[in-house]
Amino acid sequence: MSDNDCYVLDGNAAAGLLHEFFVVDVTTAHTRCGGCGATHVLGALRVYAVPMGAVLRCSSCQRILLRAVKTPHGRWLEMSGAQYLRF
Amino acid sequence: MDDPPISRGFKSRQGQTPSKRLPPGQYATADFPVLSAGPTPHLRLDDWSLSLEHGGSLLGTWSWAQFEALPQTTIAADIHCVTKWSKLGTTWQGVTFDDLLRAAGLQQPAAPYVMAHCEGGYTTNLAVADLIGGKGAVVTRYAGSPIEPVHGGPARLFVPHLYFWKSAKWLRRLSFMQANEPGFWESSGYHIRGDPWREERYDGD
Amino acid sequence: MTDGTAGPARRLEWQLAEVRDIVVETPRVKSLLTHVTGWRGHLPGQHVDIRLTAEDGYQAQRSYSIASPPEDELIELTVVQVDNGEVSAYLHGELRRGDRFELRGPIGGYFVWTTSSGGPLQLICAGSGVAPLMAMLRHRDRRAARGPALLLYSSRSLEEVIYREELETMARRDRDLRVVYTLTSKQPEGWTGYRRRIDQAMLAESCFPPEANPRSFVCGPTPFVESASRLLVELGHDPLSIKTERFGPTGG
Repeated sequence: MSDNDCYVLDGNAAAGLLHEFFVVDVTTAHTRCGGCGATHVLGALRVYAVPMGAVLRCSSCQRILLRAVKTPHGRWLEMSGAQYLRF
Repeated sequence: MDDPPISRGFKSRQGQTPSKRLPPGQYATADFPVLSAGPTPHLRLDDWSLSLEHGGSLLGTWSWAQFEALPQTTIAADIHCVTKWSKLGTTWQGVTFDDLLRAAGLQQPAAPYVMAHCEGGYTTNLAVADLIGGKGAVVTRYAGSPIEPVHGGPARLFVPHLYFWKSAKWLRRLSFMQANEPGFWESSGYHIRGDPWREERYDGD
Repeated sequence: MTDGTAGPARRLEWQLAEVRDIVVETPRVKSLLTHVTGWRGHLPGQHVDIRLTAEDGYQAQRSYSIASPPEDELIELTVVQVDNGEVSAYLHGELRRGDRFELRGPIGGYFVWTTSSGGPLQLICAGSGVAPLMAMLRHRDRRAARGPALLLYSSRSLEEVIYREELETMARRDRDLRVVYTLTSKQPEGWTGYRRRIDQAMLAESCFPPEANPRSFVCGPTPFVESASRLLVELGHDPLSIKTERFGPTGG
């Protein structure tokens, strides 16, 4: 799979949206991929699908670590791909 | 702050191009913005196949050459993205869902709903009623040329009467299902059907 | 404030920003100097979200890097006029001194450098990607911190270099700061500098070597950032020492 896309952003770009879920800045937190075990700082992950939401993927294996969507009816966050968040 | 302050002189884009062709809340763009939930796959045509299945049973499968040999239809349509841009008068070419069913030897759809499965794991759900009668197709060409990978090539689903997230990129498999199971965006806050004319953007609309 | 943390945990609220001054940087770039009531400070490299509301209730939201250092009172946002850009068209064409808009921030503790982060400081950018890096350089300048620093700035032409005079003044005053341009489309007569897109040879010649353990920050359009960070890694830099901020396809 190639990631030579113009449209992908850094995890840092999702920081504003994620602030609506977490009171602290989560982009400086560490996370461990539940698939391949690699650890990353959230801000260093690639984020997709902005502005529909934020899809953060493991830089090593592309597994989705975090998905966040904000709609007029509420906020939705799924992190089953990540083993933990360490602040 | 209860009411956000008005930014003096700021006007929405929508006011600038009024058109009966635009569903509510949309604005027309000459660009073709890209939105993907993951990295762009670069599939070799030799490795590509499309399958139609139901409950684990394969109803039909086509290699690239076989798929290209199926009846081709050209479709002109306006497309509407849930992020509010619309692109009017686009032209695509591919195989209608009706022709795909015929090619698989199916007199009628195997179940009332379909889940589209794509390279990279993206999924979206559709009612068969939104695919038959020429409403849905698997397309391989845009504006006369092969669809670029970043826009979903070599083949994507095309269901222009619904928001464009339903026109799943990098399509590989269409699975019939009895119940309307939500796909990737539908299970994370977006509307289960996504009709732009009823502004069905989000779950709860 | 220490590296990596932007103060105590608190909710990010929308605040009111008032435009105090507008600076024309280049034909397509303006800087807005804004006063934000109750601003609690920021770290160089962070950004803000701004939100505009039309009379009919329509809202548009965008992110902009903070180009001013934490030492300055006014928050500076540098805005590039993007073709068909709804928000940039408003900020460029309509916005006047005294106007207000909503702003929330500072956001993003990851892409941050302060004088206590250590160095050398290695900044690589294209176009408007210079904005967050300028906050870092201005902070370094205000603190009179003298560690080695490099700004490698890719621009289509010299006229399009943002903050050019200020960068040249900074570099003249500070022997530890090198500012290197590469002008990819148009060069002035007699130009002896780089005139091509960044490549391995250019980085090998200009950058700090991996043994110097630089803190690298790369910012600009996504393809540029991908290319620059890949080249740095190929030259032997530790990927963990490279922080990137992709601006998307247009970088605007």
